[in-house]
Parts: sequence; C-alpha cells; structure tokens
Amino acid sequence: MNAPMPFSGSPWGRLRRELFATPADGVLSLALIAVITTLVASLLRWGFTQANWAVVQLNSTLFAVGRYPVSQQWRLWLLVSLLASATGITWGLLRAFPRPDRGGELWPNNDRIAVVLLALVALWTPWALGLTAAIALRWLAITGALIALRWLAGRFGPALGRERAGWLAVVWPVLYLLGMVLISGGLGIAPVPSAEWGGLLLTLLEASFAILLCFPLGVLLALGRRSELPLLRWGSVIYIEFIRGAPLITLLFLGQNILGFLLPGGLAPERVWRAAWVLTFFAAAYLAEAVRSGLSAIPKGQLEAARALGLSTLQALQHVVLPQALRVALPVMVSQFISLLQDTTLLSMIGLMELLGTARTVMANPDFLGHYGEVYLTLGVLFWCCCAALGLGSRALERRLDPRHQPDGAG
Amino acid sequence: MTSAATTANAGPTTNAGPIIKAQDVHKWYPNGFHALRGASLEVNRGEVVVIMGPSGSGKSTFIRTFNALEDYQKGSIRIDGMPISNDLRNIDAIRREVGMVFQQFNLFPHLTVLQNLTLAPTLVRKRSKAEAERRALQLLERVGIAEQAHKFPGQLSGGQQQRVAIARSLCMDPQLMLFDEPTSALDPEMVREVLEVMQGLAADGMTMVVVTHEVKFAEQVAHRVVLMADGEVVEVAPPEQFFSNPSHERTRRFLDQIL
Repeated sequence: MNAPMPFSGSPWGRLRRELFATPADGVLSLALIAVITTLVASLLRWGFTQANWAVVQLNSTLFAVGRYPVSQQWRLWLLVSLLASATGITWGLLRAFPRPDRGGELWPNNDRIAVVLLALVALWTPWALGLTAAIALRWLAITGALIALRWLAGRFGPALGRERAGWLAVVWPVLYLLGMVLISGGLGIAPVPSAEWGGLLLTLLEASFAILLCFPLGVLLALGRRSELPLLRWGSVIYIEFIRGAPLITLLFLGQNILGFLLPGGLAPERVWRAAWVLTFFAAAYLAEAVRSGLSAIPKGQLEAARALGLSTLQALQHVVLPQALRVALPVMVSQFISLLQDTTLLSMIGLMELLGTARTVMANPDFLGHYGEVYLTLGVLFWCCCAALGLGSRALERRLDPRHQPDGAG
Repeated sequence: MTSAATTANAGPTTNAGPIIKAQDVHKWYPNGFHALRGASLEVNRGEVVVIMGPSGSGKSTFIRTFNALEDYQKGSIRIDGMPISNDLRNIDAIRREVGMVFQQFNLFPHLTVLQNLTLAPTLVRKRSKAEAERRALQLLERVGIAEQAHKFPGQLSGGQQQRVAIARSLCMDPQLMLFDEPTSALDPEMVREVLEVMQGLAADGMTMVVVTHEVKFAEQVAHRVVLMADGEVVEVAPPEQFFSNPSHERTRRFLDQIL
C-alpha cells in the first residue's frame, strides 16, 4: 500500500511550509517580501503619479517603424496581418496534430491563458498609447483574426491530414521574402529607402535576418571544425576564433568602413544591410560553437549505425546526426539568438535608427527632456516581450522534439 | 549521396564462392596498436560462424572490417567477391548487403521504431514509404514487437531495442548479418529473447557472423566456432569439437576460464 503524502495540499499549508519552515526561513522570507513590496510600490507610484508617458504616446509610431513614410505604412499593416494570420493557423495546426506517440489537448490551459493575455494586450495597448480609434480597431481586428484562425485551424485542421498540414510550413519562408518586398519595395511597389526604416521594425528586421542566416552558416562552420580535411578544419577554427576574439562594436565599425573598400562601387550593400551581414557573421561563430557542443554529445555509434545501414555520410548527417545534435544545442542556440536580438542595440552606435537609436533621438528632443525613465522602461518591456517569445517558442520546440518526454498536458 | 554505378551488385547474386574471404588481415590503430595480426577467415553462404575470444583479442575489430567500419592496412577482404578497398562506391555497395547489430543497439533515438526501420530502405534502396512500412511491420512481427511500432526507442526495454535493431538491419534485405556482442549490454533476463530471434534467423538460412560469449548459442546454432587471440584466428572448428576436444592449447585455456 502506498503511504499517504506527508504534507497537506492546502495552499495556505504549502505557503507556510515553503516560506516559514524554520525561524531563519521566516525572517528571510519576511525581509524579501518587504524589499519586493517596497520596490514594486515605488515603481508603481512613479509610473502613475510622476512619470509623463506623453513621450511614449506621442512617439509611438516612431518607436514602431521609425520614419517609414506614412503613405506607405499600409504595407506594414498588411505584413503584420499576414504574420498574425500565419501564427494563428500554425498554432492551431500544431495543437490539431500533436505528436502521434503522445496526443494532447486541442485547448490546453496554457493556450487559454495566452488567448486571454493577447486579447487584454490588444485592448489595453491602444488605450494606453492613446491611439486613434481607427488604429485601435485595426489592432483589435488583427488580434481577433489571430485568435479566430487559431480556433478554425484547430477545429478544421484535422480534415487536411498530417501530410498536407505539414506543407503549410512552407508559408513561413515565403512570408519572410514577401515581407522583405513589402518593407523595401520592388515588384511594382514604390521603394522605401532603408535609411527611413527604424524603431522596432528595424530591430526585428536586423535580428531575424541575422538569426535566419547565421543558422546554416553556423552549422557549416561547426561541421567544418570537425572535418577531417585540414584546410576546412583550420579555416573554420581561424574564422571562429577571430570573430569570437573581437568585440561586436569593433566589427560593426569595421564592417561599415571596410565593406565599402572591399567591394567595388554599387556592390557594397547599404548601411542597414552591411550591419545585418556583420551581425550574421558575428552570430555564426558563436552558433558554430553551440552546434559543435551538440555534435560532440552524439555517440559515435549513431554515425556508425547509419553508415552500416548504407547511408552516405551526408545522409547520415542530415537524418541521424544533425537532428539529434541540434536538439541538444537548441537551448544554447536560442540563448545566442536572444543575445543577438539584444546586440542589435549596438547598431545605434553606428547611427542606425533601431529601437535604441530612435529612443536617443526622442530623448534629445527638447520637448521631452528628462523623461529617460519612461523611454528606457518601454524599451525594456519591448525587448523583454521579444525575448520571452523566443524563449517560450524554444521551450515548446524542445518539448515537441524530445523523444523521452512523457505527455503532461502542459505541452 | 549514393552512386548508381554500383547498384549492379545489389540483390542476390549467383556468386558461388565464400561470401566472406578475409586473408592475412593486419590492422594498426593510429596510436600504433597492432590489433589484427594476420587474421584469416572464410564464411560460406548460409553458414553461422561464432567468434569467441578474450577481450582485446580483436574479435570486434575483425568483424567491423567486414563492412569497412574499420580500415585495415595489410591483407585482403572480399565480401561477395567485392574487394573492400578505399573506393567509397564499393564500400557503399558492400554496406548495403551487410547488416550489422551492435552491442549498444545504436537505434536512432529521435525516430520512432517504425521510422528507424524505414529510414535506410527509403533513402538507400529508394523504396516507397508504403512499401518500406509494409516490410518493416512484417519484420517487427517476426521479432515479436509489432505493437511497439510507434513508440520511441527510449520507451522500450533493452531486449526489445536489440530486436528492433535486428529488424532494422533485416529491412535492407542483407545477404550477411554481423553481430557484435549483441547480448553483452543486456540484463540477463533479456538475453534469451534476443538469442531466440537470432536462432530463428539462422534457421531461415541467414549467413551470420556472431561475436558473443554465449556458449549455449554457439553449441546449438553455430556451424563453426572461431577462437581469436592476440589479433589472430587460433582455431576454427565445429562446435562439438571446439568445446569438447579443441586442438590448440590456447583454446583449452580460454575454455577453462569461461566454462
């Protein structure tokens, strides 16, 4: 017979056990509670009585997209709508097709909470920013579409069948390229010079470009470093160690100046893209080390078994070694991506108007002098949201890829 | 990428000679250790050969040269008439015909049991997914674990994993199966289920080379038993003679230690 659990389940009892188990614990808990309450209270007092949020409210467009021409902003709205729709559909399909060995609910609690949070943010943000009713309505519509498509895809997705639903993943790269066209123009739409991009738009653009491109590059470098061909191995080692030995800011300045000399006139990309390439090459070196750690975690027997079955080295890498190595490296890779996202603030040092650059111009405006706290806090929250999204996504991916994970209803 | 140039060798051949012909094989490891010192062995079609010997005698190294998982520096090895050389195309062709079962199973943990079985047939033999799955389910049935097809290897016991590994090799329809201490990593109560599967294979006429310490299996299933010591083949004899009346002093000493 099982012994009964040695503690009661009541929340009060649990609280007492966890916070006040011994007198010393109790004192420590009380002290911490006092410190935290004071800090939160003074932050709230500042936020509601002293802070002047007009600096954020009046510049919200600037923070979002920089000096992107107003007449062309419909493209960005279109892009955000498309991204939100794709997110809703993907989310719903992921729930509609759980891993066959595990199963899972269509609406786990986490999803319900996420939907409520999304709805609250969509209602609160336009009000807090003092946006016009027309724009507030757009945000509501976009959020509504996301949630509705999440529901529809979950409800009717199974009719598609797993194979065809899998094909919908192709939507994402297509959407990325389409987004590039929408932002920069071309294919019949008026061009918007990259000098006019700014704010969150530029931050996300630089970060996503670098994240997407540094990934394949990092994998190749990691494989090169483990290669048996000396030239390839030493080339990779020298590249990785050189990049890791130099501060990003140096490389950024170097990139702005040197790419102009190295490449013949006209070929040197614009400043925004130069910076994006430098970020990519920088991140690839760090990513290569993360992938390498993943590769060395895979037992030699895996490659041997694959080779013994007749797979070529390339097939063995693609189907056996890399999927496992990347899963091992995933948490480290995502923390690299998060650093990369934060490193984009350095671009303000070379004169790009990404989030921090925009913030600095706003704070230099005599109308808003002295309101640094409001601006930096807003920036912090924005970055926190982006990083939290990356982190949540990576943990969900980890759970889905982990063959040992047992169903727990939270996935 | 597989090369189409070598597919002429695929499938059963009418080659009448021995399926393995290893002559005077020498192997040095990069650290200078002389692991194989002139080992020779011939295995005929349909034959079951068990290789025994003390640890470090080169048994595993020897059978791993038969599908080029280890290279060798001197001597010659022919599998089904094809020489094992540094020619990569040749090695791919040989590996398609030679199945291998490892001590540590080496199942692919990120794939389901069924996907473990269909990966190589679809990639290497270019079979359709449906065809590969049909064959895989047949073989899982044969090794007695069809109901586990959609689980991941980590959810199975060691004995079940090793049976999946055997089925995975059989999916490639090999002409020859190599077993490298297939039961050494198993808990004692799981050894039998694996040996029974191997016995069934032998009864169906599969050519097998088995490195093992299982004396009973050698007595009941092997046509010939080989003793390896210090990188050489010391004795080759039918099991009755090998275990009761070996002709070499070295074999007698080895048997004294294990029996």
